[in-house]
Amino acid sequence: MFTIVVYCLLIVIALYLLAGVVFTIFFQAKGLSCIDEGTHGSSLGFRVIIIPGCIVFWIVLLRKWMNIKAKNRAKANKEKRLL
Amino acid sequence: MGTSYSAVGWNRQKRIYDQVIAGCCVLYLVLFVLITVTVNPDCTFETVLLRSTSTLAVFILHVILSIGPLTRLNKKFLPLLYNRRHLGVTMFLLSAVHAVFGILQFHSLGNVNPLVSLFTSNTHYGSIADFPFQSLGFFAFVIFLLMAITSHDFWLHNLTPKTWKTLHMFVYLAYFLVVMHVMLGVIQYETNPVFVVIMISGAFILITLHLIAGMAEVKKDKKAYRPEEEGFVQVCDVRDVEESRAKIFCIAEERIAVYRHENKIYAIHNVCKHQGGPLGEGKILDGCITCPWHGYQYLPHNGQSPPPFTEKVSTYKVKITGNTIWLKPTPDTAGTTQQGAAVPAE
Repeated sequence: MFTIVVYCLLIVIALYLLAGVVFTIFFQAKGLSCIDEGTHGSSLGFRVIIIPGCIVFWIVLLRKWMNIKAKNRAKANKEKRLL
Repeated sequence: MGTSYSAVGWNRQKRIYDQVIAGCCVLYLVLFVLITVTVNPDCTFETVLLRSTSTLAVFILHVILSIGPLTRLNKKFLPLLYNRRHLGVTMFLLSAVHAVFGILQFHSLGNVNPLVSLFTSNTHYGSIADFPFQSLGFFAFVIFLLMAITSHDFWLHNLTPKTWKTLHMFVYLAYFLVVMHVMLGVIQYETNPVFVVIMISGAFILITLHLIAGMAEVKKDKKAYRPEEEGFVQVCDVRDVEESRAKIFCIAEERIAVYRHENKIYAIHNVCKHQGGPLGEGKILDGCITCPWHGYQYLPHNGQSPPPFTEKVSTYKVKITGNTIWLKPTPDTAGTTQQGAAVPAE
């Protein structure tokens, strides 16, 4: 029973990290510069060094990215209405 | 401080610091291997690797955890603080070698997944003598891993300083897990008590250092100041504050750093906007108050970071009567320019 629980936990963690890998590919391409101005003009070394963190903390980054996107959309709509 | 991120924020001092760390690590590992091979010629390569990396990682962990209280007790230890993160990453890499080789040696030769084997090969969780100590080491390693992968300033900014600091405070839980991992492992596999003695001594020194530093801080914070005319309080003599350095005073539960710069006295809020570092424990470099934790900078007369940076801390009015510094503990808005008080000629 204990072995099954350990196996299940490992599978869940592996799936979570796999989702993190997929997210990181998109995030490095599009999201990074969107959530943090400090990443503009940053080195390739910096982009590589944050990959493990992106894989583990992908949920935090995704939420931040979505919030910024929503804010930008709201701002654009407001400007449209004013015009 | 930089406007865009780089992989590693090296400068000349940090390079020297890292070279010293690397040199000391190599020297330790070589000496450990030579002594082990001389004393015990039958030992295997894996055993030597596991023991050398683990003992060095535990030693570095003790150094890392000592740096905080040591710098509070004596400013001479401040250079150790400037690159503590690199020391942490070094410790993580050593613990990673130990963890990977440990799992390979003890859990990868069967038909069970090595990580599953780590938790299921020994299930005597109710016994002290047979406790599966390797799982404790594994959880400590996970904490070190999370700390290492979030050690870059990008994470400090994007996880928020509060969350980042909370995550990195888990180092104390990791330390406890490491102590238990070593003690229980030694009980089960060793007849030589030297490892237990070293571990207990290390823990005792660490706890004592933290208690002494904590008591010194409490004593400073509890010092009473009587408000005098116009709301100013007397804090110290001008000769007590060295040029380009500060003294910290806790008035009405707020810490204020009183700095001396180009023979003028200025006062700013002691808490750095970056991660809450103690600005008064830093010094003035290139005309800027420099936080000892990560090098964030503020101008002494207005508490503003030099352009293009936008961080600001509160400033306070000061005056000098005779040789006595007086401070008004009511903060002015962050970034307010102050005249400062000229130090009288000796």
